[in-house]
Formats: sequence, structure tokens, C-alpha cells
Amino acid sequence: MAPRYRMIYFNLRARAEPTRLLFAAAGLQYEDVRIRRDTEWPALKPNTPMGQVPVLEVDGVTICQSNAIARYVAKETGLAGKTNLEQAQVDMLVDGMGDLRGKQAAIRKASEDKKDQCKEELAAFAPNFLRRYEELSGPHAGHLVGDSLTWADLEFYDVMTKVLMYLPGIIDNLPKLAKVMDTVPANKGVADWLAKRPETPH
Amino acid sequence: MPSYKLTYFNGRGTAEIVRLVFAAAGTEYEDVRLEQDQWPELKPNTPMGQLPILEMDGTMLCQSNSIARYIAKLAGLAGKTPLDQARVDMVMDGMVDMGNKFAYEIYYEKDEDKKAEKKKDYVEKYVPQFFSSLNKLASDGGYFAGDELTLADIAFYNMVTMVNPYLEQPLSLDGFPNLEKVVDNVTSNPGIAKWLKERPETPY
Repeated sequence: MAPRYRMIYFNLRARAEPTRLLFAAAGLQYEDVRIRRDTEWPALKPNTPMGQVPVLEVDGVTICQSNAIARYVAKETGLAGKTNLEQAQVDMLVDGMGDLRGKQAAIRKASEDKKDQCKEELAAFAPNFLRRYEELSGPHAGHLVGDSLTWADLEFYDVMTKVLMYLPGIIDNLPKLAKVMDTVPANKGVADWLAKRPETPH
Repeated sequence: MPSYKLTYFNGRGTAEIVRLVFAAAGTEYEDVRLEQDQWPELKPNTPMGQLPILEMDGTMLCQSNSIARYIAKLAGLAGKTPLDQARVDMVMDGMVDMGNKFAYEIYYEKDEDKKAEKKKDYVEKYVPQFFSSLNKLASDGGYFAGDELTLADIAFYNMVTMVNPYLEQPLSLDGFPNLEKVVDNVTSNPGIAKWLKERPETPY
């Protein structure tokens, strides 16, 4: 029987990866469709809600916007936060991480002559940002919110993996955040996914 | 019921979506508006050094859309089913994209010629295309999710009215009847109608 969920994106991690990590962590089956930007995307684009991917198709409905998709899958998998308040805390941490993700992605997108400036901007932004996140991190080591894995941990892991490429020691003195980087790949579903996911440029 | 305290500057800005949700929900809250010189002292005591923040029962939340979603959920305005909630979220995120595009490509553009060109593109190409997509997502009753007012409808109204003052004329909803209905549904909600009449006039 075909899986109930079908996610369509390019053959990249990028904006789809947190949702893939959610599916993996929960062991929830889904169809991981990867389309070619040149040959397949032009025909699909007008048939998407806002002319963008990723999209998630479920029960005849198509959802777009990567965070909306991730939050939906997080709720389906029990990884969105256990109470309304925890869910709001997960949401706010993920929203904030968008800034870090953006600064890191800017390096990749920049022309060669601008890359160093973008790296400096990330290096200037990250320390304060991460210090605040260390303070916001809840009392249970290895989890940003509550006492078990949430979308916030997976999102953090995904973004930090990229940030650490440019700023390798940046969370060495932030023990709660460093523990999240251990807790996430210790989840069996995540570990299996990390081992088998396609190699992609980003 | 907890006491809610929303803190922002004296403007609509990114706090207004929260104020509109409080209004639609009929939930009491303290609407704190800081002077610029009060901000430096508060800033290090906020979760991410930004406003708005919502304080309740000793907890602080930040990020305007996360706050809005939290209050909307408590009031049943965030979508009745998980898929409806996803629809609400995707429209909210789409409206943020529309606002960010305006801010980064037009509002912050210093070159006057580039600014004019981007504005023309925004009004003549980007918005009509985006509104066309949104019109398909809204029902002919004027709701983005289900058949009742949700945060998505409020987000649409809020972002359009946020951008309009910066344009030569308000963005047109001609040819987008579902979106016109969305605006009607939002502005005729009793709580929102009252707030729109009473809210302070501010430059932004």
C-alpha cells in the first residue's frame, strides 16, 4: 500500500531535511520524491499551492511552506511539543533558527568575492544567538524543549551541522546545545537515515 | 485565566497580528507600547533580543507568528483539524514571505531607480500572481481553512494592510473574489471591528 504521505522537493537536504528527519525519527513511512529542477519542476510549479517546493501531499490535500509541513508532520509524529505552551516554545525556537539558517545559506549563495564577508557575518551573529539558545534550552539535557525529542532538536541539529562547517568550535562551551547534537543522532530512526540519505551538495 | 502582557513598540509592525488575534478571540491582554529609549534596558531580558514578546504566568514567548498561533489555538482560531492547521500555517508563512519581499527588495533599497523598478514588479507581477494562488486556496465563502475565521484570514488582512500605506495605491483585489470575502470576514468580526475602530493611530 502506498504511504499516506508524499513529499516533493529537489534532490537536496535544504528546506525539506527537517521534515525528513521528523519522519525518520518517528519511523513514519513517506514517499520521498526528488524532482529535477530542469526537466520536472517547470511542469509541476503551476500545480503547487504557491509555486514552490517542498510540498506535502496527504489525504488529497497539498501543503506547502517548509515550516508548515514540518509542524504538521511533527504533530502527526508526536514531536511537536506535549502541551500548547511547549508547542509555542518549539515554534519560537524554530522561527529564531531561521535567522541562523539564513546567514549560513547566504555564504553558499554568495558570489566568490562576497563569500568572506558572509562568513564574517555568520561569525559575528552566531555567538550571541547561540548563547541565548543555551539559556533558552530547557532543563533536560539534550532537549531544547521538554524532556524528549522535538522538532526543535531536529531543526537545531540540521542547521548546526552546517554552521559547524564554518565555525567548528562554536558550541564547545555551550553544554546544553552540544548535548542536543549527541541526542539527535542517538535516535535510531535518525541514525539510520543519516547513514543512508543521498549525498547532496546542501 | 492567565494574565497576558504583550510588549512591543508603539506601532502595528510585527505585533499587530497578535493584537488582531486577541481581538478576534475576545481575550483581555495588556498592550504595552515601549518608547525607543526603554528598549535597551529590556532587550537583554528577552528570549532573543527582539520584540514582540508575550508574558504570561512567568513565561516569556517571542516570535510574533508563534505567539499568534499560541493565542489562536487557545481560542479555536488556528484550524480545527491537523490539516486545517497546516493550511493556516502555510498561508501565514506565505504572507510573511510577501512582507519580507517588500521589506528587503523595496523598503530597504537605497537606490531610488532600483526601488521604483522593484516596486513596479512587486505590484504588477509578484502580487497578482501570489493573490491568484491565494484566491484558489481560499473558499468562496472567504476562509482559508474550514468554514470559519482563522489566523490565516487575519494574517492575509494584516499583511495587505501593512504593505498598502507604502504603495501609490492599495493593492487591488479585483478578480480575486474569495480574497475580497476574506477581508470582509476579517473586518466584520465583532472583536476585530471594535479593535480597528479603537486601536491607536501610528505611523507604522
